[in-house]
Amino acid sequence: MLALYRFLLHLYPAAYRYEYGEEMLEVLSQVAGENRKGNVLARVWFGAHEAGGLVFGALHEHLRGITGLHGNGRFSSMYSGGRFAMRSEFRFPKATVGLMVAILAAVMWTIEKAKAISASVPHANPPVGPIRPEQFTIVETLLAVLIWAIAAGAIGWAIVFAMRRSGVHHLSEMNPSAGQRSGK
Amino acid sequence: MEVSEPVLLILLSLAEQPRHGYAILQDTERMSEGRVRLSTGTLYGALARLLEEKWIERFKEQDHSRGKQAYRLTAAGRRNLQREVTRMKHLTRVAALRAARKET
Repeated sequence: MLALYRFLLHLYPAAYRYEYGEEMLEVLSQVAGENRKGNVLARVWFGAHEAGGLVFGALHEHLRGITGLHGNGRFSSMYSGGRFAMRSEFRFPKATVGLMVAILAAVMWTIEKAKAISASVPHANPPVGPIRPEQFTIVETLLAVLIWAIAAGAIGWAIVFAMRRSGVHHLSEMNPSAGQRSGK
Repeated sequence: MEVSEPVLLILLSLAEQPRHGYAILQDTERMSEGRVRLSTGTLYGALARLLEEKWIERFKEQDHSRGKQAYRLTAAGRRNLQREVTRMKHLTRVAALRAARKET
């Protein structure tokens, strides 16, 4: 797992990596050690959560470098974009990051498998179907998976919203006068 | 600098005492009763912004190593945190009053 994090840290700009890379790895190893006690599902979720955080973080830092925004960027609700307030706007479900990683791995494996099968079959047979796996490059695959995952996430959220079980509905059903938690 | 929930939790964590990254993660999870679990990428993105704005500063502990860097609030950070807490107190007071009024 640490090898994956070390790899993902290379997505960050070099200056950022120099300044925070060691600290982040130290924290990641401590958090990973703590999560080693959990079951397989918990460990997979943790890995996807951390990997997603690193990928989004790297993207955010690159965008800040490109746009020159310092302190006023509203790139993502995970960062300093927005006041501390309840907002009923669409948020990209973090669980989708894990799902995207799993789907991407499965698609890439399938494409490699199809290429191997295609290579082993005599090419006197014409291609079947409109999609020929050997024609897909990594960029097209990533794009197709990204579009599919975003669409799936939006559809999933729309279903949850239609069932009135989204976060927006949970927040609107909260009763602020129904007892107060003890302060710390 | 606008204050999001992760940033507010980090400021609250550092308001109590200087902490390094892992301790901040644990404290924010504890404060939010498990509701908020910051990823390392999110944490360090927020720490980088806070350092830029000089709301926090690096704190040299005795057993300081590059991988265990601690942070603490600056005077400006403490002032801005207080301002944010006052704003939220006012909001919750207004919200409670209006919710009570709606019920009666």
